[in-house]
Amino acid sequence: MVSVQSPPGGREVPYARVLLLPAILMAAATGAAVATVPEPARMAVGLCGGIGALMVLGVAVEAVRRGRTVKRLHRQYADRLAYLERRVALYDAQTEHIGKQLLPDTLYRVQQGESPAEAMRVVIDQNPDYRDLPDPQRKLLRTVLDILERGEAMRDATASAFVHIARRVQAIVHQQSVELREMEEDHGRTPEVFDDLLRLDHGTALIGRLADSVAVLGGSRPGRQWPKPVPLYSVLRGAMSRILDYHRVDLESIAKVAVNGISVEPVIHACAELLDNATRYSPPQTRVHVTAVEVQTGIAIEIEDGGVSLSEEGRKRAETMLAEAQEGMDLQSLSETPRLGLAVVGRLSAMYNMQVSLRQSAYGGVRAVLIVPRDMLTGAPAPALAHGIGASAVPRVDNDGNPIQELERAPKKRRPTSGPPTPLSALEDDIPVVTEWTATGLPQRRSRNKTPLAERYAEARAAKEREAAEARAAEARAAIPGQRQAPPPREPEKEEPAPGLWVEAFMNGLKGGGDQQGTPGAVESKPRADDYSTEDEGDLK
Amino acid sequence: MTPPQRERRAPQPGTEQDPGRLYVITGGTDGTQRAPLDLVALIVARSEAPPTAAPEQTALLKLCKRPLSVAEISAYLGLPFSVVTVLVTELLAADLVESRAPVVRSALPERSLLEAVMHGLQKL
Repeated sequence: MVSVQSPPGGREVPYARVLLLPAILMAAATGAAVATVPEPARMAVGLCGGIGALMVLGVAVEAVRRGRTVKRLHRQYADRLAYLERRVALYDAQTEHIGKQLLPDTLYRVQQGESPAEAMRVVIDQNPDYRDLPDPQRKLLRTVLDILERGEAMRDATASAFVHIARRVQAIVHQQSVELREMEEDHGRTPEVFDDLLRLDHGTALIGRLADSVAVLGGSRPGRQWPKPVPLYSVLRGAMSRILDYHRVDLESIAKVAVNGISVEPVIHACAELLDNATRYSPPQTRVHVTAVEVQTGIAIEIEDGGVSLSEEGRKRAETMLAEAQEGMDLQSLSETPRLGLAVVGRLSAMYNMQVSLRQSAYGGVRAVLIVPRDMLTGAPAPALAHGIGASAVPRVDNDGNPIQELERAPKKRRPTSGPPTPLSALEDDIPVVTEWTATGLPQRRSRNKTPLAERYAEARAAKEREAAEARAAEARAAIPGQRQAPPPREPEKEEPAPGLWVEAFMNGLKGGGDQQGTPGAVESKPRADDYSTEDEGDLK
Repeated sequence: MTPPQRERRAPQPGTEQDPGRLYVITGGTDGTQRAPLDLVALIVARSEAPPTAAPEQTALLKLCKRPLSVAEISAYLGLPFSVVTVLVTELLAADLVESRAPVVRSALPERSLLEAVMHGLQKL
């Protein structure tokens, strides 16, 4: 593109040769002019010709000199242009190289936890091709790496803050579930309280699972550890107890193996998440079947539900989610996937080398298979399957037939709450209070009502009579329509009239019409019908 | 007057063995399906445990080959009374155990009736 027309350097035509032609021409022209002009003018013409020739020569010299300068400059510029274009091409190549190779390499290293300086040294300085990377590009790279490192540090800090909070929630939940267990023991004999406690216990377990999930997604391992191997059946029950619809889960033919103490929690958590998925995405009336069989690599726990069939596309999506989680998913991408469960299972299975797969079930739903590797299991004898039943479920005897003294229970820290307050009457019922003695020496039991029986009978009789009297008064009132329009205000604290006074009241009512206030009997004779009961009660008290 | 405090059983701290919680065993009853069993009701197994029974029920059936009170079952199984009653209720419904109820309190005549009889006798 850039054509350099300058003649090859070093072959400069000497000035003498260049100037020869104009000098000869000028000399010839001057000679001819001198020859043709008449004699007297020859001197002047010759002089003019000489001067002209000299001037032409001078101009020619200057032109040639300038021409050469222009040529030189031209050449220089062309060289410079070529140089600059080479430089630009080089920079392009370097930029591309940085973008395509150096940056990803160093970024990867920084993401893996190396410091930016370390990454720069390993990627650039140890490679002879990149060693002469210009300073500005080094600086650029370094800046990018620093920013990235800061971002990574911030994300780590966020995740660890989440984990920290989750750990605290876990601790509280654990403490609470221990205390709830104690309360369940305390209130075992009052079914109402006990059932309420069980519900609280269940809710607490759900909170605990959520906290566990947050901790796992934050990149930490399950914190809780079990001191001894736990049979798989109990582990699966533990998983069941952490989901909402645990009563829909059937445990069938669970292999009789035990899980290592340190591996119990991840298996419980992974199973709980799978069970939660299974129960959540299947109709509420269907059951979820769980089986566990031994396979070559360990134990395969199968969780089958009767929910909607998993389409091939849905299965792929779920497996992608699992795979992403296994590679280490960003917390940011969780916001797009409300199904925390699979992410948690993916994380856990990546941490503990468990394998998870989702397939279509024969029931039409989803069959999740979790393969627990053999090194998470133990061959050591585990406690019996049943809840809380160890070897000491029945009184044991040693070989000689003597009963074995079981270990004493540790004293418990929490003071047991006394049950619901016993009603006083019940206590009285059991322990009669003897206050008097009859003449014959027998204990005289006092009735709970402190009034004597005869008195109560008299009261009841009086009340009945009064009711009858009032009923009759009401009947009489009903016969006179005018009386009903203006029911008089009733004075509350009024002595009850003696039975029989109603006749007088009735007569007063007939006579007075408007001024019922004047006679107390008239007032008493017209209470509203619904006041009877309250008045009677008040009287009896 | 405070009622005497019973020494109650408590799971030993730090040695919790089972990750399963009690509500998984009772199966989430709302408390209405419990048979009216007393602490001293005697339970006898009528047959062997079927293979599908829960481990607790199997253990209970094994324990109850001879009559055993609910209180004793509760102690041996290490389960609270209310859990045992649920288990026994399920087994009763499946006809796997038999309960020999002690004298039920409500079968006794009412106190007021007794009092009335007493007063009547005194008036004679």
